[in-house]
Amino acid sequence: MGMRTDVTDDIGEELKRPAPHRGRRNWFWRVISESTQAKVGLGVLLFFIAIALLAPWIMPYDPRTSVGEPYEPPSWEHPLGLDDGGVDMVSLLIQGGRVSLVVGFAATLVAVLIGGGIGIIAGYFGGWSDSLLMRITDYFLVIPDLPLAIVVAAVWGPSLSHLIFVIALLLWTTTARIVRAQVKSVRERVYVRRAGSLGASDLRIVFRHVLPQIGPLLAANVVLTVAVAIFDETALTFLGLGDPTAITWGSIITFAFLRTAISAGAWWAVIPAGLCVAFVIMGCFWLGQAIEDALNPRLKVSYLSTRSFRVLKPSAPEDG
Amino acid sequence: MRRSDYLIKRAAFAIITVFVAITINFFLFRVLPGDAVRNLSRVPRASNELVNALKEQFGLDEPLWQQYVIYLNQLLHGNMGISFSNQQPVSENLKEALANTIPMAATGTVVAIIIGVSTGVFSAWRRGSKLDQVSTNAAIAFYSFPTQWLALVILIYLSPWFPSHGMSDPFLIDPTPWEHFVDVARHMFLPSLTFALTLYGEYTLIVRSAMLETLGEDYVLTARAKGLPQRRIVTRHAFRNALLPTTTLIALSLGYIVAGAILIETVFSWPGIGNAVYQAVTERDYPMLQGAFLVLTISVVFFNFIADVLYFKLDPRITE
Amino acid sequence: MSLLEVRDLHVWFDRPGGERLHAVQGVSLDLDAGDRMGLVGESGCGKTTIVLSLLGLLPPSATVAGDVRFEGESILVDDEETLQLHRWTGISMVFQGAMNALNPVKTVETQIVEPMEFHGTAEGADARRRAGELLELVGIPTDAGARYPHEFSGGMRQRAALAMALACDPKVLLADEPTTALDVMVQAQILELLVALAKELGLALVLVTHDLPVVAQVCDRAAVMYAGEIVETGPMDLLFHAPRHPYTRLLFAATPGLHGQDEVVSIPGTPPRLDREIVGCPFHPRCDRAFDRCRVERPELRWLSEHRRAACHLNDEPAVAGRGGA
Repeated sequence: MGMRTDVTDDIGEELKRPAPHRGRRNWFWRVISESTQAKVGLGVLLFFIAIALLAPWIMPYDPRTSVGEPYEPPSWEHPLGLDDGGVDMVSLLIQGGRVSLVVGFAATLVAVLIGGGIGIIAGYFGGWSDSLLMRITDYFLVIPDLPLAIVVAAVWGPSLSHLIFVIALLLWTTTARIVRAQVKSVRERVYVRRAGSLGASDLRIVFRHVLPQIGPLLAANVVLTVAVAIFDETALTFLGLGDPTAITWGSIITFAFLRTAISAGAWWAVIPAGLCVAFVIMGCFWLGQAIEDALNPRLKVSYLSTRSFRVLKPSAPEDG
Repeated sequence: MRRSDYLIKRAAFAIITVFVAITINFFLFRVLPGDAVRNLSRVPRASNELVNALKEQFGLDEPLWQQYVIYLNQLLHGNMGISFSNQQPVSENLKEALANTIPMAATGTVVAIIIGVSTGVFSAWRRGSKLDQVSTNAAIAFYSFPTQWLALVILIYLSPWFPSHGMSDPFLIDPTPWEHFVDVARHMFLPSLTFALTLYGEYTLIVRSAMLETLGEDYVLTARAKGLPQRRIVTRHAFRNALLPTTTLIALSLGYIVAGAILIETVFSWPGIGNAVYQAVTERDYPMLQGAFLVLTISVVFFNFIADVLYFKLDPRITE
Repeated sequence: MSLLEVRDLHVWFDRPGGERLHAVQGVSLDLDAGDRMGLVGESGCGKTTIVLSLLGLLPPSATVAGDVRFEGESILVDDEETLQLHRWTGISMVFQGAMNALNPVKTVETQIVEPMEFHGTAEGADARRRAGELLELVGIPTDAGARYPHEFSGGMRQRAALAMALACDPKVLLADEPTTALDVMVQAQILELLVALAKELGLALVLVTHDLPVVAQVCDRAAVMYAGEIVETGPMDLLFHAPRHPYTRLLFAATPGLHGQDEVVSIPGTPPRLDREIVGCPFHPRCDRAFDRCRVERPELRWLSEHRRAACHLNDEPAVAGRGGA
């Protein structure tokens, strides 16, 4: 017991001390309801997802049709102006959002599948497969992300599906580590052994016992991975490694750069797209961080503070 | 294990990783569609002699494993082939590019570390205050901004005052050393600023997190009990401990600065290694791409090793 | 005037949900030079909070009332500068689990010297020499000072923490569960050391613990705490043999070996919640001698004799009590 035994026990049982093993379904709602950060993050994400889903109904103009002069400034009809091809920016952003989000989620899905698969194998079977896979993971971690992606994409050719795969290639390692650690620890639990002795197949053991345990941790990892995926998409597109015909937030920024929006002073062709990316990433970050914080609550409060405890003067007694 | 064994182990890991990277590099480019001869010796406008010389040098019509050995051999001699774009040796191009990138990236990184560390320490000390919230969310925001977008925004708003392209003014005739220095410095300002802004956010979050851990440790309470003032406790006791995870994480991140360098140098046309990668990608200059990838990977491995050395030096507890 | 006087100390904690926890409910104590007083009770009874209050180390969520005087001067203030003057030089502390109370990246010697130099007790080579003397005093070889805390065993670390606590020649030494994390053999040694130091240096010692044999070994008197208040005080032997509060009696009965019995008899029930006002005696739900008055009226801590205080209605009602005590 640490020095804080007495103080924390005073605050004691009533203080919300999260249980190390949560119920499967209610942890998510608990995190959301308890944390403003989680609410804001989730809200931002849902907002962008909603727009992406409702796109066919809310897009004001066709994102591939010119409706005016190049780089027309914002107006009532076009709140964010037009791009270099005379296309309405708002429509571009909505369309771009759809694709960017799809790429981000898809890449994350692939990354999680790869990472999860590797993690499960390494964690469950252990031994030499574990060492081998972990060595591979270590090396992958060290090799710099973007250059690797560039090389693979350059060699392979530009397309969205290639892009998704390349991004996934960069991101699977963290998932692998998390899944492996959890699988290892769960594997050592008694009931897995028991189920094993009952003759249940290995895979069924894994899915029934391991997956619920790692739910929250994986969720945090997934959310944060989406953020990185979307970030990477903009970078790779900027370097010409995405699909040149696709409209994504990354491509909007890229074309603004290539088609001299700067010298034309057309800030509306540049700034909104980046802000959208930034908000989605921030939303992911807030949500992911809130989930992680809920999992690893910092029971230790800082011993330093600029505010001090209050001293009551004798003339004003408190009634406990 | 004695303490020095740790360093040897880490050095060995670094060397092996470089080796793995070299190998991946080799195989990546050998799986290009089309035959190796054409792809790697396809120096535009090259004379037949050059093509034949390259064929011989790299043994491009030999079996794959032999090519591998030749490749390694050539690498040891510093020969990375000829760049397609300027017919110069890749190694020369890379040297020059690296020499241009380092001052710019170093300045930006140092500024980012200074800002990040001070805001991180301060935020942790005043945890929960308005200042903490503002600084933390600002850090998250800058961390989330797509690097190339941030560069463009800075370009838009600051280019009236600072040069925004290249490293020096081509029209400056016969400058004195001082004039040249000022010229380069002025050109370096915007890219370095972008560097600093895009990096600092991550450092703030790292430092803040590390500090919060230490501020909850019992020795901080002991230090307070000794009557030491809070500022001294923060800087000399807590920070000294937080320095451990902080330096390793920062050192690790240095290796990944290359990604940012690529994007920033492209926007500002800064003739560094990032720009070299971009040019190599757009021009499909495979030898350059291959060489640059190697350089970037080695730099990451190098900084990872530095991180290990730093941790070793700073933590008296390493006996493992 | 005693060395340390605590008068009617109250401490409340604001909890995240908005309620207030009344952690310390009107505690008064006196401590003189040479006293070795135990502060005994279950976890959560408020004893650590009291000790932290003496050094002004409460978190911002705390509110205090009452008075604490050290050598006549009031030290229950929120002014860091006043507090810093007395910390370590007048009152110092040894914490539980010295594993973490010592800074892992600084040598032991540095940590002893630092408060000396800061408070102006000694400087430079002189300070280092004194640090060496203190280490010897607690049974650590002088040259071990140049080592780091992780190189020490648990017992050695606690000794080092003791040496550190004595760095500025304090008059009062607070020890919060100093041996709980140590094994029994080492425990006994440390406690012996504590007593020896207190006697040799004329310290006033406050030993906070839930472990009765520990108090028995070290202290000459003790205050028993329950639910944030003191329920009984007195010399150790009288507390053992003639307790005047049922909690004290049951507490000693619950400790194996103390009265010769072999099994642990734990007290059924749990302490009351401190975020609500307590009606009647805080112990009455668990008390085996409770009667009507206990449910409605909260007993005051009253002087029963020159060195004895107890908060129990049984002391007023000899007829009910039977043998004139709890």
